[in-house]
Amino acid sequence: MSPSLLLHPPGQLSPAAAYYISRQAPAVLQGSPSTVSSSPLSALFSEKESPELWLKYENMLLSCLRTENDQAAHLFLERLVTRFGDDNERIMAFKGLLKEAVARQNGDQVRILNEYDQILSENDTNIPITKRRISLLRSMGRVSDAASSLVQLLEFSPTDAEAWSELSDIYLSQGLYAQAIYAVEEVLVLAPNAWNIHARLGEMQYMAANATGASSGSYQKYMAEALKRFARSIELCDDYLRGYYGLKLVTNKLLQDSNKSNKQVDDDEFALPDVGTIERLNELSTAKLSEIVRHSTAQDRGWRGYDPVEVAAARELLSSDAAAIER
Amino acid sequence: MTGISKALTAFGSLLLAHACYSAHEHSALQTLKAATLSLTSTASQTTATTLPADIAIETVIATLVVLLGLVLSTQPLRPIQWRVWAGKIERQGEEGFVDNNGEVIKEYIGNPFQIFENRPGFVDIRKQRMEFAEWVKSSAGAEQ
Repeated sequence: MSPSLLLHPPGQLSPAAAYYISRQAPAVLQGSPSTVSSSPLSALFSEKESPELWLKYENMLLSCLRTENDQAAHLFLERLVTRFGDDNERIMAFKGLLKEAVARQNGDQVRILNEYDQILSENDTNIPITKRRISLLRSMGRVSDAASSLVQLLEFSPTDAEAWSELSDIYLSQGLYAQAIYAVEEVLVLAPNAWNIHARLGEMQYMAANATGASSGSYQKYMAEALKRFARSIELCDDYLRGYYGLKLVTNKLLQDSNKSNKQVDDDEFALPDVGTIERLNELSTAKLSEIVRHSTAQDRGWRGYDPVEVAAARELLSSDAAAIER
Repeated sequence: MTGISKALTAFGSLLLAHACYSAHEHSALQTLKAATLSLTSTASQTTATTLPADIAIETVIATLVVLLGLVLSTQPLRPIQWRVWAGKIERQGEEGFVDNNGEVIKEYIGNPFQIFENRPGFVDIRKQRMEFAEWVKSSAGAEQ
């Protein structure tokens, strides 16, 4: 594993990778300076301060907390506090995170929540703490409170794509597809080139189309939109496994539908492309998926970036497809 | 690739140094010749002489060789098209973003939009800890 692993936000790491990082904590604690003096004289002799150092500390802190290595997490936090001070908003959020992590009973969580409220009553524009409060509410099961606080946060900070994304996740967990889709669309307004968010929106629209209770008109609308979103994610990213997977899923479903009945709802805005186009898209996604699965199973050079779990899912989809054709 | 480019640069530099030295020696010789000539004969002679062709050619070739070595030692060019760049991140991961020594370049952060799905500001640390504890249990069970 490369040292650059420490500079990534740790959310996307597997438990094994997080454990690996957490075990490196003593080495990192020893190998990096605990404080960096700001005086120019000492800067001449000691290592230069770099943003990467503090990023590394933050990521180590998160990984240590995740792997229940609380002692090391405290040491990292201490260093961050000596550098940035107690009243830095980001550091306040990390301190809260540490307290949340070691909270055992429900009472502890309520106490932490009160502390957050106390901080926010002094300064209600403290966004990191607001976010901590929302995730604590969600973690405690008070989802509707979390959603309403998040909406409040978005009211005064509408360009926060991360918060929109969290809002969409909350709505999705409650089965409110229309609201979830709206929130992801807001993320896309802020980051129009994010290929993974396009794929995510496509997935949500596919879920919304196939949810129970969707009328046939909205079904068609959602499917047409999902098709467009997956196509856009592929347009933004060559050989995007997730995009092709979604495209294949949607076109498979649409082709099944067209065999059953040929009922088309006339709506200019959300009209599906004709069957020939859908068939061609299906063929393309099958070809691309099998190419990706083949190369990535053989561990070919230049094809090792895919997540093995995703590749396995693609293989399963392809084999179920092949079985359906044989039948 | 690095070995070849380094060797080429070193060889080119050597050649260039040799050409310089030759030029210097040549001019020194010319001055000496002119001095001795002016001593023996009173006729003033123009000392402006041209450099021999072999030194000029050596200089040009040495420069080209150094240039080639330097060009070969540059980092591989990065894609400038969005979809190609994004595809490279997805297909090759950090393997596609290495410098000449095979180390992952410092700026590589994978898909920069991944944070909208991870949302580090909203991390639910208790859930993550529970998941980790379960992973430890399951991997310990798998080992037994």
